[in-house]
Amino acid sequence: MSASAKKRIMREYTECMKDTPAGMKINFDEQNMTKWEVLMDGPEGSVYAGGHFKLEIIFPNEYPFKPPVVSFRTKIYHPNVSNDDKGSMCLGLLRPDEWKPPNKVVAVLRLIQSLMVEPNIDDAIEPSIGNEYKENRKEFEKSAKDWVKRYAK
Amino acid sequence: MSAESINIITIDFPDPDRTEIITDRIDGLAVRSSQNLVHILPEHALSNYQLQSNESFQFPVQNIQTLSSKGVERGDDPYGLLYIPALQTDECRNSEKDYVPKNATRLINLPYNAGYALIAVAPWFSSNCMKEYFLTARNEPVKAFIVYQPDPESTATPPKTNDQVWALNDGGSWQYSNQFPTYAVPGASGYLIASQMSNYSGNISTVPYGDSLSKQYPESDYIRLWAKVTADSGTQLPSLWVFLVIVLGLLILIIGATSLCMHFVQRRRRNSLRRRIINGEVDLEALGVKRLTVPADYLSKLPVFPYLGEPDHVEKSMAQASTSVDAETGLKGVPISRRSSAADAPPATHASAIFAQSTCPICLDDFEPKESQVRELPCRHIFHVDCIDPFLLNNSSLCPICKQSVLPPGYCPSRITNIMVRRERLISRRQAQEASGRSHSPGNIVARLPAAYDSIRARVGGVTGGRPSRTQPRTVDIEMSSGTYPAPPVGTISTATPAPEIVAVPQPTRQNGVEEYPEPPSDQPQQRREWTRQRALALLGNRYGLVEGESEEEEEQGRSRWRRGLNQIFPGFR
Repeated sequence: MSASAKKRIMREYTECMKDTPAGMKINFDEQNMTKWEVLMDGPEGSVYAGGHFKLEIIFPNEYPFKPPVVSFRTKIYHPNVSNDDKGSMCLGLLRPDEWKPPNKVVAVLRLIQSLMVEPNIDDAIEPSIGNEYKENRKEFEKSAKDWVKRYAK
Repeated sequence: MSAESINIITIDFPDPDRTEIITDRIDGLAVRSSQNLVHILPEHALSNYQLQSNESFQFPVQNIQTLSSKGVERGDDPYGLLYIPALQTDECRNSEKDYVPKNATRLINLPYNAGYALIAVAPWFSSNCMKEYFLTARNEPVKAFIVYQPDPESTATPPKTNDQVWALNDGGSWQYSNQFPTYAVPGASGYLIASQMSNYSGNISTVPYGDSLSKQYPESDYIRLWAKVTADSGTQLPSLWVFLVIVLGLLILIIGATSLCMHFVQRRRRNSLRRRIINGEVDLEALGVKRLTVPADYLSKLPVFPYLGEPDHVEKSMAQASTSVDAETGLKGVPISRRSSAADAPPATHASAIFAQSTCPICLDDFEPKESQVRELPCRHIFHVDCIDPFLLNNSSLCPICKQSVLPPGYCPSRITNIMVRRERLISRRQAQEASGRSHSPGNIVARLPAAYDSIRARVGGVTGGRPSRTQPRTVDIEMSSGTYPAPPVGTISTATPAPEIVAVPQPTRQNGVEEYPEPPSDQPQQRREWTRQRALALLGNRYGLVEGESEEEEEQGRSRWRRGLNQIFPGFR
């Protein structure tokens, strides 16, 4: 990883610290600054309220020319998060062909927060959950809350 | 094996019954068997026994017809003493008198019981008598049989073996029953030989030049005619290994020709791809065929200037920059492109664009007026030179912000590889399928896209216009910091990019934040499930694929050595 990329990550971290989105805590290791650990509270008013979710952000060597890789380390019942031990997320500005260097990590975090409030059904990585969200909202909310209780307390 | 010639000479050899020192005089010629002396005169010994041509009969027979080549091996030409086989019936013996001189050499005129190699001579005057000749010859050490039609005038080559004159009314079986070859000579030659045989059948004093010969040789010596057949080797079938060599040679020839053909075809495809790239019909980057990078010499031509905070300075610098670019494009002989047209745009627009971008989007540092060296891309986004140059040199030729190519339209990499050709063909084929699929049932497109297509996309990671994976307009709320780093206003773009005909695969829909992708199929749940599954695979595959091997060199590395070798011989073969 080049010095400029490190510099940029450093700078982003500083900015994040100055203006951390609500309900978030960032664990940053200066020795290994390409891997961030984020603790995110489920946004109030969403089905995930009350849950604490651990996320991992890994910066590729080509950062900022390539997007950071975001994954949920805490299991979450969400159409946009893969329902496996990877917890991968892949949508919107996180896609390699849509990522632009001016985008910042803090924007990624805000996007995730907004997705927890309102999932993006059309871009669902878990189509079954997406369908459920669209067609049987009650069932979805029940499962999501159940998962929060089970995994995210 | 047909006979080319029969050479008849006269030889002198001692009487084995009268000579006790056979092995001395006929060195190595006489083989003593258990009971009989078997004399075989080999070819190499002939010179010792051949009489001088001025005092003996020598006659090369021409115009020979081979009636049967049975028993003749390659390199083992028949030879032997000439004699006329005996007939069994009185009837034939009486008829023979009309054709053969009375005292022509018979077996009895040769050393008794001596088993010399023999060559029989007989006139073909009647089929019954001919059968008797053959019957006798089969019981004697006959190496070959010379026959002739009873026509003393004829010197032409006798008829072929299947001619009626050689019929013995046995369906041709005589040829198989005889263990020796049969040669037909012209009638004139046959008569000559027969008459000479009558000269050389008695003792030494009775032969022509007998007086002088009897002074040279002991009286007991025999002087007889000797024939040697020279057979050609032309008609013999090639042996097995020759056959194998021929097959191998043919195989190599076929492989070579195929390889050559494929190289030629591949070369034509490369040239065609190059031509289409230059004409702007194909955009490697947009198709995802290859991720281009910007060559250093070209990058150095993109304008670099210190970031200027004040409008008049900016204008001045922009004027400089544009003239320099114009000069360069002029030097390069490139027709008016979007680059030079960008430079032609009103300076005011430039100034505003530059002002709008006060921060380097890569390192997020603010530009320092008059201090920061910035590089301006053709899309008029500016970056720190140190930030953008390594990216353009090593990673991509696209502007990191608007994904517009830095390279001029029709830019063609110096090396078009076979892999690029293959990808381009694959992708254009898929696109054709996609287009036809779209017109029929849009829902099946994704399901029909094979994984290979996605993997190519993923490797290259190019910006693609046709990927059917997005269904909604780009969410505007996540387009962050739009005030800080604006893409040039759409209106400016349309003036600055006035050449849609040379931008091969533009993505105008992207510029407006709207993308056109096929809707997910909604009619059948099964279809829909497959569609979403494929899409999820594509998304994940793309993301991870990008991090890993993306260049064709790496793709090449990943293949086994023999596959690479095979590809060297048969390019374009998968």
